[in-house]
Amino acid sequence: MTFTVVGTPGDRRVTLFAAACTAAGLPPPEVAAWRDVLEGAEPSFRPGTLLRLDSPGEDAACDALLRGPGDPTRVGGGARWHATFTAALHRVASAARRDGAVPLNDADEIAVMFDKRRCHTRLQAAGVPVPPALDGPVHDYAHLRERLAEAGWSRVFVKPAHGSSASGVVALQFSRDRVKAVTSAAPAPGGGYRNSLRVRAYETEHEVAALVDALAPDGLHVEKWLPKAALDGRVLDLRVVVVAGVPTHAVVRTSRSPMTNLHLGGRRGDLAAVRAVLGEDRWQRALAVCAAAARSFPRSLMTGVDLLVGIGWRRFAVAEVNAFGDLLPGLPGLPGGPAEGLDTYAAQVRAALTRSPEACAS
Amino acid sequence: MLIHERMGEFAGLPVADFTENGMERNGEPLTAPPTGVAWRVRVDDEDEAVFGDVLGRFLETVDPATVTALVVGWWGYESPVGEPVTSLVGAADRLTALRSLFVGDVVVEEREISWIEQSDITPLPAAFPRLERLGVRGGEGSGQEPLRLRPFRSAHLRELRFESGGLPADVVRAVAASELPALEHLEMWLGMEHYGGDATVADLAPILTGERLPSLRHLGLQDSEIQDAIAEAVAQAPVVARLETLALSMGTLTDTGAEALLSGQPLIHLRSLDLHHHYLSDAMAARVRAALPGVKVDLSGALDPEHDTLWVAVSE
Repeated sequence: MTFTVVGTPGDRRVTLFAAACTAAGLPPPEVAAWRDVLEGAEPSFRPGTLLRLDSPGEDAACDALLRGPGDPTRVGGGARWHATFTAALHRVASAARRDGAVPLNDADEIAVMFDKRRCHTRLQAAGVPVPPALDGPVHDYAHLRERLAEAGWSRVFVKPAHGSSASGVVALQFSRDRVKAVTSAAPAPGGGYRNSLRVRAYETEHEVAALVDALAPDGLHVEKWLPKAALDGRVLDLRVVVVAGVPTHAVVRTSRSPMTNLHLGGRRGDLAAVRAVLGEDRWQRALAVCAAAARSFPRSLMTGVDLLVGIGWRRFAVAEVNAFGDLLPGLPGLPGGPAEGLDTYAAQVRAALTRSPEACAS
Repeated sequence: MLIHERMGEFAGLPVADFTENGMERNGEPLTAPPTGVAWRVRVDDEDEAVFGDVLGRFLETVDPATVTALVVGWWGYESPVGEPVTSLVGAADRLTALRSLFVGDVVVEEREISWIEQSDITPLPAAFPRLERLGVRGGEGSGQEPLRLRPFRSAHLRELRFESGGLPADVVRAVAASELPALEHLEMWLGMEHYGGDATVADLAPILTGERLPSLRHLGLQDSEIQDAIAEAVAQAPVVARLETLALSMGTLTDTGAEALLSGQPLIHLRSLDLHHHYLSDAMAARVRAALPGVKVDLSGALDPEHDTLWVAVSE
């Protein structure tokens, strides 16, 4: 039995997955480079190989192929990124069908997960708790204000529809005569915005309007800001990895700012402390919500679910489902579960071998 | 410092919540109102409920005559200007046992402290003359009306506490001009001018003489960007002699302010001196400790004036 990964050779994700294969006594996976696929090379696969579509990672060449040339730290270009990436995913999927590879995840589902609007709609339709979101497009800042006034919402997260890693995400709040936007997007020297490692606040309407107007053309997903639970002076949310339908790994992400992403000053929090506050019943309920979110993507072996815990520790909502949300190096699986003692990659190797009839036959 | 967690306890009682979605305690729904709790009344979803309605339902569900301690959580921007004071005053004839009141247990994920819309709170001590403990969080606010207060008289008020990133000078002057013969604990987070905290040392003068505060045992003049000047004034203030505990923490206290404290009146009668969040040099911190044997001095949260911008602990 062999695995094939479509990813970026040498990228951490690919290396970690290869290590998991080796640890399971398997040969290292073959790697097809996204860069080649994006440059137009026709991928080909060994018949029967288990095919894992992974992220292009932080490869600047891939980024240029996906978003077009430019500063890789710039904010924006998500619409083009998504269109290019989706087309490439489908080419890979066709090649996989043609060659008889066995996919572990699915081009269409990945495309949905990388569109926060469609992902939200799908989760909501499935009865998964999600924050309320504006329906329909938001053209610019003036339109956003109009839509929010209609909805009666004064605190929202404005997210680029196709962004990742909090790029371009804006925590936005209004009162009768004040506005404040917290974001990692910083003005770029040549105009536009770029991702910064520090969150900053914009507190004039002029600045906030310029920011939203710059983000809007790529599509916006606007969600109500649900007040989050906090521990030790830091707000938190959970990343829960679900493998083959079972929540196997969980980390707490904590922050003093509205964004919990680790690269923006977020920190891993104490899962035991969170579980202690929740108690066993609510912890199980939280995991069930994540499993339900994952069920909306039945052809994905793994999903990374971002779970919001409401300020009263009683309500949960799924903020995002990440197609490539398993980059949690060295994190052991939840005790008592099928991934106990395994990292996210080893857990997927094991699950893929278990569920694949070809694997059993070989 | 951001206030991320709601009070778990108030007036020595555990807090239970009452919202438009019912009652809960520690995140678990309650079917019947418990006794021996402080009630926190708030709106869960400000787009769905207004404070006055939630308080109305609270008064129908919980026997108001049994409520001794009340915490007002977030009331939402959709509530009319003047809330929650208007609704509380309207309920005063039923909340006959109320002795402890905190208005504004709002955490940063609901509204940052400078966004909490307070209003004129003068009607509260008038409507609840037996109030022993009053606390308020917020200040300038973000809209129509800042926090306001006119001088008042209370024979029963023992504790008065303002948590703010910018406490308006008018409020400070009103406290200073109030007749509070029973007041034992006065705490004011003065904040930054940028957020409406425009009080000067002169505004504090009547408090520092202690003329109208014969029972004062604790004074907190904290979270100020003029913390050094406050420390200098406190070093000469007659009221200090009657204090058991003093807090000059959370602000921009530097060696200048600490030097003034050490060269002023004796402080060795204090039980504790809270200076946490400060910009003292190590040498000055050591001098403060050495000069005050037997006083519990909190010098935690040391910041470096060479490397850190001088900042108060709670501002925006």
